[in-house]
Amino acid sequence: MSRIAAALFVTGLIVVPPALGSYQVYLLSLTLVWSLLALSMGLLLGYVGQLNFGQAAFVAIAAYVSSLLRIDLGLSFWLAAPVALVVVMVVAAFIGVITLRLRGPFFVLVTLAFGEIVRIVISNWQDVTRGPIGLRGIAPPEGFLGIDFGNKLAFYYLALAVTLVCTLALARVVRSRTGRLLVALREDELLAAFVGIGVMRQKMVGLCISALVAGLGGVLIGPLLTVISPGQFSIFTSVDMVVMVIVGGVGTLAGPLIGAVFLTYVPEVVRFANEYRPVMMGFLLIMVTMFLPGGLMGLMRRLTHAGSGAALARKAAARAG
Amino acid sequence: MIAQQIVNGLVLGSIYALSALGFTLIFGAARVVNFAYGQLLMLGGFATLFLAQYAGFNFFVALPVAMLAMAVCSVLIYVVVVRPVLGQGDLAVLLVTTGLLYILRDGAVIVFGTAPRQIDMGVEGIVEIGDVIVTNQRLVVVGALIVLVVALYLVLYRLRIGKALRAVAQNRAGAEAIGLNVNRVTAFAFAISGALACAAGGLLGAIYAAEPGMGDLPLLKSFVIVIFGGLGSVPGAIVGGLVIGMTETLAGSYISFAFKDVFTFLLLIAVLLFRPTGLFGGKVA
Repeated sequence: MSRIAAALFVTGLIVVPPALGSYQVYLLSLTLVWSLLALSMGLLLGYVGQLNFGQAAFVAIAAYVSSLLRIDLGLSFWLAAPVALVVVMVVAAFIGVITLRLRGPFFVLVTLAFGEIVRIVISNWQDVTRGPIGLRGIAPPEGFLGIDFGNKLAFYYLALAVTLVCTLALARVVRSRTGRLLVALREDELLAAFVGIGVMRQKMVGLCISALVAGLGGVLIGPLLTVISPGQFSIFTSVDMVVMVIVGGVGTLAGPLIGAVFLTYVPEVVRFANEYRPVMMGFLLIMVTMFLPGGLMGLMRRLTHAGSGAALARKAAARAG
Repeated sequence: MIAQQIVNGLVLGSIYALSALGFTLIFGAARVVNFAYGQLLMLGGFATLFLAQYAGFNFFVALPVAMLAMAVCSVLIYVVVVRPVLGQGDLAVLLVTTGLLYILRDGAVIVFGTAPRQIDMGVEGIVEIGDVIVTNQRLVVVGALIVLVVALYLVLYRLRIGKALRAVAQNRAGAEAIGLNVNRVTAFAFAISGALACAAGGLLGAIYAAEPGMGDLPLLKSFVIVIFGGLGSVPGAIVGGLVIGMTETLAGSYISFAFKDVFTFLLLIAVLLFRPTGLFGGKVA
């Protein structure tokens, strides 16, 4: 059932956009990039069980490294992006060495500090990063086989392909040995260590994969927005990712995706109330945490279960009658 | 020059220590990392501003009254959003207090506007000792830190509820087992934390200005300070605040002003590598 729904949804994502206006296509691309960021946070929150308030720094590093390699060294997007991703994973591994031993609030606070360091360095390392003004006029990825990524629709399909491949790959990771080990760790680290799971190693793998996914969002964000600046990668960006995961449903892959769609489109619909956006985000975060711990996914699951339960009851009643 | 910088560092450190005290207290007593703490500080700044500027109170009357109000406010936060999710673990508490941060910070932007407003302390003039110059306002800040720390120690070591608070901080389950009302003690810790946040906010509003974003930096510094000094440790917060204030001032004037915060964070990472529980921290379960 859910497979059919997912297939229909993906078909819709492929077939519908050519019929949409250019702003709608841009919004869809933006949603896809946010989906990648939300997925990266979802993996960390749901499977590694860690809250990273410095996640935006991974996005920032990928965005800056890939864009600077293109602007200053004239590399092609297709060369710059993989280099940026490698850099992000190396940084993640370094952060992991320092922080993964820490638990609960300590991990949160240190990742927050890391995020701030990256933002401050980007703001102040004028010679390389151009400081607070940021980078402008970032070109679309170089085309090939006659595809011009300057076309919004072509870029959308690129983002869609990346997001789909990423989601499928993560679905495999989550169901793999690594995924199951991570869940074991999240549930009881001491017990997991006791039965011989390499705690640090597994967490490190989880963190690096998460950073890689965030980095993919980062390399796409430059060409999509054509402008990047340090202000885009503050702690509030990390918190936005967290809200997406929590609202969508933690501990699932569909959750962050739903959250990303919800939180990119709802503010668009209620644009007139833009100044209230942070207040609404905060309210949403509190309400979902207090009253809907499974997020929208949990709600849906409960509703469908209740539905099938009711159907079973009806059938049983019919048989009895 | 160096003497002046050291004095500047001490004053900055006093403000940091004051900001971090209430934050660390809550963690010690309830294992709660309160992300809305900076907003309590901001609200305290505005409460002091309104009492002093618009209701016409003397600053030194307005501040204690505001502290009382923020103590009540902090208890309300505990009862309404924190207590209901305490059973769900660390993550839930972080999430609801982060939500509160968003609501209060941008609520303040909408209600108060973003224009910075300085609180009139009614204290002017400077003191010169040799080459070193300090404004009297800043001496008030250092004095306030000393008074509040002494008061806090009297509460924690002389009052019954203060002793109960220390018991809960040391062993929550044990405290519950011997019949302490852990819920009431935690509410009390929130009250003190709110009052201390307000004191920091009022003083910051007097030497800089009250504005909706004024709680952001103190919150961030509080994180650094309590990790440096040990989460939940009161002496750790004081020493941590002074060390961080000193590091920033000295690194800012002798190495690089733009990167002064980076040095603080690097110091933090070094402490975590070599002493993960902080300088004054004990075991962390």
